[in-house]
Amino acid sequence: MGHKTDWFKGIFPALVTPFTGDGVDANAYRELIRFVLPHVDGVVPCGTTGEFSYMTLEERKRAVEICLDEVDGQVPVLAGTGCTTTRETVALTAWARDAGADGALVVAPYFLKPSFNEVYDHFRAVDEVSLPIVMYNIPQCAGTHFRWWTAEGGLLDFENTIGIKDSSGDLPFMEAMFEKVKGEVSIFVGHDEVVQAALGAGADGAILASANLIPDVWQKVYQATQEGDLATAQEWQQKVQKLVRIVVRCGSNQACKEGLRMMGVDVGDSRHPIVPGGAFRREDREELRLQLEALGKIDRRPVTYDLGHKRVMTDLYATHHTPDPIADWTMKVGEGFAGPPFQELAHVDLLIGLKDGPVGRAIERSLAEWGEERGLRTVGGRPLTLLVPTVTIRTDKQRRLFERVAAGVKLAIDLSIEDGFLPEPILDDVALIVNAFVHPAASIAKRVEFNNYKAARHAIRKAVEGRPTVDELIAEKAAARHPFRYAP
Amino acid sequence: MPIKVPWLKGVFPALVTPFESGSEAVDEEAYRRLIRHALPNVDGIVTSGTTGEFPYLTREEQRRLVEIGVEEADGKPVVAGCGASSTQEALTLARDARDAGASAALIVTPYFLHPSDKGVYQHFYDIATAVDLPIILYNIPQVMDRYLPRTVVEDLADLPNIIGLKDSSGNLTYTMEVLEYAGDRIDVFVGHDEVVLPALAGGVSGMILASAQVYPEVWQEVIRLLGAGQVDDARAKQRKVQKLSRIFCRHGGGVAVKAALKMMGLDMGPPRRPLKSVGGALIHETRAEIRLELEKLAKVPIGGTAFQYPDGPLAERFNDLEIAADDIVEHGLRIGSGVAGQGVNQVQIDLIAGGKETPLGDAYALQMTYPFHRREALTAILEPALTVRPSTLLLPTLPQRNLRQANMIYGPAQSALGRAIVDALESQHIPQQAVDDDVMIALVTLHPRAMNRHALAQSVHAAASQAIDQAFVPSPAPGDQAPTLSSSKGEGWGEGQE
Repeated sequence: MGHKTDWFKGIFPALVTPFTGDGVDANAYRELIRFVLPHVDGVVPCGTTGEFSYMTLEERKRAVEICLDEVDGQVPVLAGTGCTTTRETVALTAWARDAGADGALVVAPYFLKPSFNEVYDHFRAVDEVSLPIVMYNIPQCAGTHFRWWTAEGGLLDFENTIGIKDSSGDLPFMEAMFEKVKGEVSIFVGHDEVVQAALGAGADGAILASANLIPDVWQKVYQATQEGDLATAQEWQQKVQKLVRIVVRCGSNQACKEGLRMMGVDVGDSRHPIVPGGAFRREDREELRLQLEALGKIDRRPVTYDLGHKRVMTDLYATHHTPDPIADWTMKVGEGFAGPPFQELAHVDLLIGLKDGPVGRAIERSLAEWGEERGLRTVGGRPLTLLVPTVTIRTDKQRRLFERVAAGVKLAIDLSIEDGFLPEPILDDVALIVNAFVHPAASIAKRVEFNNYKAARHAIRKAVEGRPTVDELIAEKAAARHPFRYAP
Repeated sequence: MPIKVPWLKGVFPALVTPFESGSEAVDEEAYRRLIRHALPNVDGIVTSGTTGEFPYLTREEQRRLVEIGVEEADGKPVVAGCGASSTQEALTLARDARDAGASAALIVTPYFLHPSDKGVYQHFYDIATAVDLPIILYNIPQVMDRYLPRTVVEDLADLPNIIGLKDSSGNLTYTMEVLEYAGDRIDVFVGHDEVVLPALAGGVSGMILASAQVYPEVWQEVIRLLGAGQVDDARAKQRKVQKLSRIFCRHGGGVAVKAALKMMGLDMGPPRRPLKSVGGALIHETRAEIRLELEKLAKVPIGGTAFQYPDGPLAERFNDLEIAADDIVEHGLRIGSGVAGQGVNQVQIDLIAGGKETPLGDAYALQMTYPFHRREALTAILEPALTVRPSTLLLPTLPQRNLRQANMIYGPAQSALGRAIVDALESQHIPQQAVDDDVMIALVTLHPRAMNRHALAQSVHAAASQAIDQAFVPSPAPGDQAPTLSSSKGEGWGEGQE
C-alpha cells in the first residue's frame, strides 16, 4: 500500500539546472536554491525543467549532491531519478536513497512506449529500492498518459509510493485521482496554468517550473487555499496566468532561465537542442520581462541617456540587456513581431532618432510630400511619431484596421513613457517612425491592435537597448528560420 | 454476392459547386461549363463531394447537381455525393440520387457526433439495404476527425450494394490494409492528390480528386505510363503536379480549386460562407503560388517580363536615394555590387554603407516612410525579431507587380541578405566599428519570374556577400568597381526550376 507522508505538501520548484561548458554550475545552482528557499516547502532537482534528459547520470548525481548540501535539511529534497530503462532508474533511485534524498520523482518510462503492464512492472522494480516514490505523469513529454486505473493500481499496490505529480493539466484525470486515492497518497499538480484550480479542488501541493521565478506567489496561492480564502488564491493565479502560460507553453526551461537572469540570478542557457529564440521565442522574452516587471520582480534603476547636447537620467526596468549609458541618438533601429493569429500578426520596423537628425527630417518631408496620399499620420502628441503602413491601404476595411494599429502603437508609446524607456525629458528631442505591417486579409481588429501594441513596445525597447546584439545574431544565424523563405 | 462494377476505374473529378456572388445561389450554367471542360479527360464525375462543399448544400440542390451531371456527362458515370451526419438524411439523399439517374452514391463516414464502430456499420448497412443504388464508402479523416475502421470496411464489403471505397486519408498504411482485407470484393479509389502514383502502384483502381478538374490529363498519363511499366515517366508526371496537388489538399481544398479554375477562365464564383475566396484557409500568398504553378503547367499564359538589371557606373545607381556620386566621395560612403545565379534566378545587389549622419542616414529614414510605391523597403532580418546589424534596408529596384513577386523579395531575399550580413560580421569583413555607426541600403534586383526560393536564397547570399566584400574591403576610388553581368554570373547555382 502506498502512503501519505507529512512532508510531501506545499510548493516545490522544479529547479532549473545551471550548466558550465561541461558540467553543472555549482555556484549558480546554489545561488538559485538560496533564491527560492525562503518561499518553498521542498525542492526538486533534475526534473523536466531541470533538463534531466540532457544530463549524464554523473551530472544528475552531482546536481542532487549540490542540492542536498545547499538545502542542508531545511526542506525535503525530491530527486528526479526517472530514466527510459528500468535498470538505470532503479540504480539512480538507489543512489539517491544512499545520498540522502527524501524521495524520488520518477517519470513514466519514455520514448519507446511501453504498455501499461510494462510501466507497472517498471514502478514495481523501483518500489523495491525502498525510497519514497512520487509517480510522475507528464504526457506532453513522456508520451504516456496514465489512466486512472493504472495510476490507482500503481499508487495503491506499491509500498513506497507517497504521491503522484500530474503535469498533464487534465483536470478530469486529477478529479479521478481524488475520487480513487485522495487521502491515501499525495496528489500534486504540475501544470502551472491550473494550480489554483487543482489546489482548490483538493490537490496537496504543486511542483512547478515557474516556482523558480515566483515561488512567493505560489506560496500565497497555497496558503490562501489552505485557509479557505479561494478569492485571494484566484486573484493571484489570475495575476500570474499570462506569465505562466508563457513559461509552460513556450519552452519552459529556457523561459525560466532567461526570466531568472532578468531578475539577477544568472543560470545560463538551456543545453542544445534548446536554443535561445527557439521554443521560447524572442517576443515571448519581451512579454515575460513585462510580466516580471508588473509583478515587481525586476527593479527600476537609473540609466543615463546621452543625447549629445544633453544627458538625461531615467529610471527604467533595466536588466542585463540594458547598456549604461545609452548614447548615439542619431537614429536607432528596432523591430517587433507579435502574433497570433497569422493574418493578424504585427511586424513593426521602428526608428527613434533626434528631431534634427535623419528621423526628424524624414518625417517632416514625407508628411509634406506624400503624407495624405499614402495615409501617413502622426500618433499621439509627444514624442513626434509618424505611423506608416507597410502595405498600401486600399480599402475601407484596411483603413479601419489601421486605426486600431494606431491605437496599439499609441498605447505602446504611452506605456514606454510610463516605464521610463521614453523618459519625459527627451520627448521633445526625439521623433519616431513606426512602419507597421497589416496583412491584407486581416480581420480580427482586437488582435491587430494588441499585436501592434506588443510589437511596437518590443521594438522601442530593442531600439533603445541595441538588441539583438551581434553576439546573439552570430549565435542564432545558422538556425534562424524566416517563415516566408519556404514555399507552401 | 458482391460484384465489382466494370465502370469503377480511372479518373473522376470531385467537382466544385459554382455559386453566384452575393446570392450564393448555385450557378447551373457554370456547372455545365465545368463538366464540359473536364469531360474529355475523365472516366466519370462526382457531384457534391467534399470539394463540392456538400455540407453547405440543400437536398434539392444536391439532386439538381446530379440531374445536370447526368445531362452533361454524355453517358459517363455520375457518382453522387450523399454524405450526411444522420443515417436518415444520407438515405434520403441516396434515394434522390438514384431517382436523378446517378450511377452510385459516395457516402462519407457519419460525422460530428461520434457513433461507435457498430453505429458506423449500421449507417452503411441501413442505406445499402434500403436503396437500390451502388454505394462507394468514403474515408476522409482530415475533415471527419475519424477513420472509417478497416474492420467495418471488411464487413461492409460483403454487402452486394457496396462496390467501392474512396480513401482520401493519404495514409498508405490504411490504403494497403483495406486492399488487403476488402480488395477482392470492392474497388478502392485514392482520394488524396499527393499520393496518386504510390496508391496506383499499390493496387487502387482509380481516383476521385479535386485536381482532376484542373489537370485530369496528367492523371490519365500517370495511369497509362504505370500500366506500360514506365515508372520513371509516371513519377515525373506526379512530381510535376506535386506542389499544386499539395496546395489543393492542404491549403484550401475546394476554395483553392476554384481559384485555379478562375485563373484558367472558368469562374466558379465564391465558396459559400463561412469560407472565403481568399484570406481564410487559402491565404493570398498561396493563391499567388497557384498561378505560378498553373503557368508552369501552361494552363495560364505567362505575363510580360520586360525589365533590365541596373547597369552603368555603380556610384550612380543610388541616385534614386538622392545620393549622388559626389556624395559618396564626400561622405566616405562605401559601395559594392554583386551578381549571382543564372536565368530567372539571377540576382543583382548594389549596396551602399556609411554613417547615419550622412545623406545615407537621411535616405534610410526616408525609405521607412516608403517614398517608392510598390518598392517598399524593409529591414534585413534573419527571421522576424532578429534584425541584423549594421541596420540594413532592402529596397527592391523593380516594382512588385503581384504577391508572388513580393513573396520572393520579402521571404528568401530578405532572409538571405540578412544571413550574408551576419556571415560578414562573423568573418569580420564588416568591421565592429560599423555595427553601431553605420547603416546600409541594399538595392535588390530579382528577375520578375523568379520562383525557386531555394536557388534565389543562394543567389542573394552570394551576390550580397560579393557586394559587402567589395564595399568593405579597401579599394581605390569608388565607382570603378561595378562588375558586369556577363563577367560575374554565378556558376553552379543550378537551373531555374520552371
